Amino acid sequence: MLRIENLTKVFGRAVALDGLNMTVEPGALYGFVGPNGAGKTTTIKTLIGLLAPDDGRVLVNGIDVVREPERVMARIGYVPDVFGVYDNLKVSEYMEFFASCYGLAGLKARKRSQMLLEQVGLDDKADFYVEGLSRGMQQRLCLARALIHNPPILIMDEPTAGLDPRTRYEFKEILKELQSQGKTILISSHILPELAEICSDIGVIDQGRMVFEGSMEEILAQINVASPLLISVSGNRDKALKLLREHPEVETVTIREEEIAVGFSGDRKDEQALLKQLVTEGVNVYGFVRERGNLESVFMQITDHSDGEVVLIHED
Amino acid sequence: MRINPIYRQESRAGARSFKLPLIILGFNSVLAVVALLYMNSMITRVQLTAEIQYSSFLGLYGFVATMEFVLLLFIIPGLTAGVISGERERQTLDLMLTTRLKASDIVIGKLVQGLSTVFLLIVSSFPILALVFIYGGVTVADVGLLLLCYVVTAVLLGSAGLFCSAAARRSTIATVAAYSVVVLLTAGTLVANYLADGLGEMASAGGGAPAGWPMYLLLWNPAATFQTVLSGQIGSESGLAPIFPQLERIADMGLIGRYWWPVSMAVQILLAAVFLAGAVRKTRPAGRGRR
Repeated sequence: MLRIENLTKVFGRAVALDGLNMTVEPGALYGFVGPNGAGKTTTIKTLIGLLAPDDGRVLVNGIDVVREPERVMARIGYVPDVFGVYDNLKVSEYMEFFASCYGLAGLKARKRSQMLLEQVGLDDKADFYVEGLSRGMQQRLCLARALIHNPPILIMDEPTAGLDPRTRYEFKEILKELQSQGKTILISSHILPELAEICSDIGVIDQGRMVFEGSMEEILAQINVASPLLISVSGNRDKALKLLREHPEVETVTIREEEIAVGFSGDRKDEQALLKQLVTEGVNVYGFVRERGNLESVFMQITDHSDGEVVLIHED
Repeated sequence: MRINPIYRQESRAGARSFKLPLIILGFNSVLAVVALLYMNSMITRVQLTAEIQYSSFLGLYGFVATMEFVLLLFIIPGLTAGVISGERERQTLDLMLTTRLKASDIVIGKLVQGLSTVFLLIVSSFPILALVFIYGGVTVADVGLLLLCYVVTAVLLGSAGLFCSAAARRSTIATVAAYSVVVLLTAGTLVANYLADGLGEMASAGGGAPAGWPMYLLLWNPAATFQTVLSGQIGSESGLAPIFPQLERIADMGLIGRYWWPVSMAVQILLAAVFLAGAVRKTRPAGRGRR
């Protein structure tokens, strides 16, 4: 389990992290999302002990990263966004080198290395030089390297950045498999939809603060709230518009050809109540559905810094 | 026995590189050419004068030893100055620091790898130095002491290079800083002595300057240590003697003067330890061991 409590990090005058709180439950595949410069990499570097927090605590399975970094490092595998290449080193030697950095040597290290190369689909590249691998292969090798000491927690900083769609897909499949093996995975990205397919939990960081944290179900519910209700009525449209304008949960009303798009802040129960009210008042409703939202729009909404004011838009 | 993983990895990668054979070839070629030219001039003189001066062969030893020392001064910072900053530039340092390796393991591994290259250079040049054994005048123990002097110099300058490499973000800056440290230790301490001598002479109106405190700065100077060792073996006119006239006064410095080279080697090893501690501190992530 990863736990960050009130984490603050300041670089000169710039506040990179401003009292960040975050919890990653055991076995979760946690998507850590935020726009560029939100503080994702700073958070990750603090998590793995490469940066010192100015305030707050970082706990990995209850162990303080600052106080006992060696114990924490034994429990964490780290995949950075950039793959560092060693000249003149073969794939198998690269793996064995990092195995030795964790105190693994000899047959045990070789077997573990072979097993991981198979898992990431690089077993046939063991005798290739690392610098000659494609970026996708290098990133998979980096993942295998991070798992060499069999850590229960994997921390990945934008690992799929710059990869082609096929390699991204393969990478995601490997992550799903690792999660099914019981690993806790934290993966950062600035693209929310990219993580939505695989993550069980999401944390959205913006300007050094956690602006949303919860399960994928919760964020999908957020999408519903953010998307307008599409109401189709026949005949008495004016009556419907009058009722909608008077409703306390209605924020915006926009007429789109045959439909009325309603910005509605209520939940499912409120939606049911609104439909019931329209029907009771004699409005012929033949369509009542939430517009299909997308994660991108939720992400934009969560990380929007402009102070927007709610207005009712009535277009006839 | 557990071999330092950094040392093993560097050795493996280094063995595949053309860099090491090229350095060995270049280093020994320069020494061999110098030695052969020197021998040629001696033989030509013998042919002209029909007189064999055996002291000339000691001069050959002094000349080659000095040449080797100067080459080491140039090579060692170049070998070590980019090793940690290079890892930082390749973004592999963070990967190593997130393993169970400590910053000290990384620094020691890099130092041992750099020193092993220098030892290889020193050992490979031994046959050239051994030319002097044909005519005698220098014992194996003398050559051993000279090699010890080279090793201490390598440890000091290698550690200084590592410190600069750990402190600088870019290898170029680290290399410039490492050579600056070499200049400061060798030329800087010497210039301080020349200045002190000049001021002393002015004060005593040409009556000769006593051995003042700047003389103790020469204990940090590997070139001064080398010269003391060489003077003890083949006479005070040899090697770098013309630029170290102050060393003639070390006899006036009591116990330290009597044991100058062991004391100066100890001081330099101590200074190397300080550089290494600094390198470890600079390599260690800011977040480690703070609380």
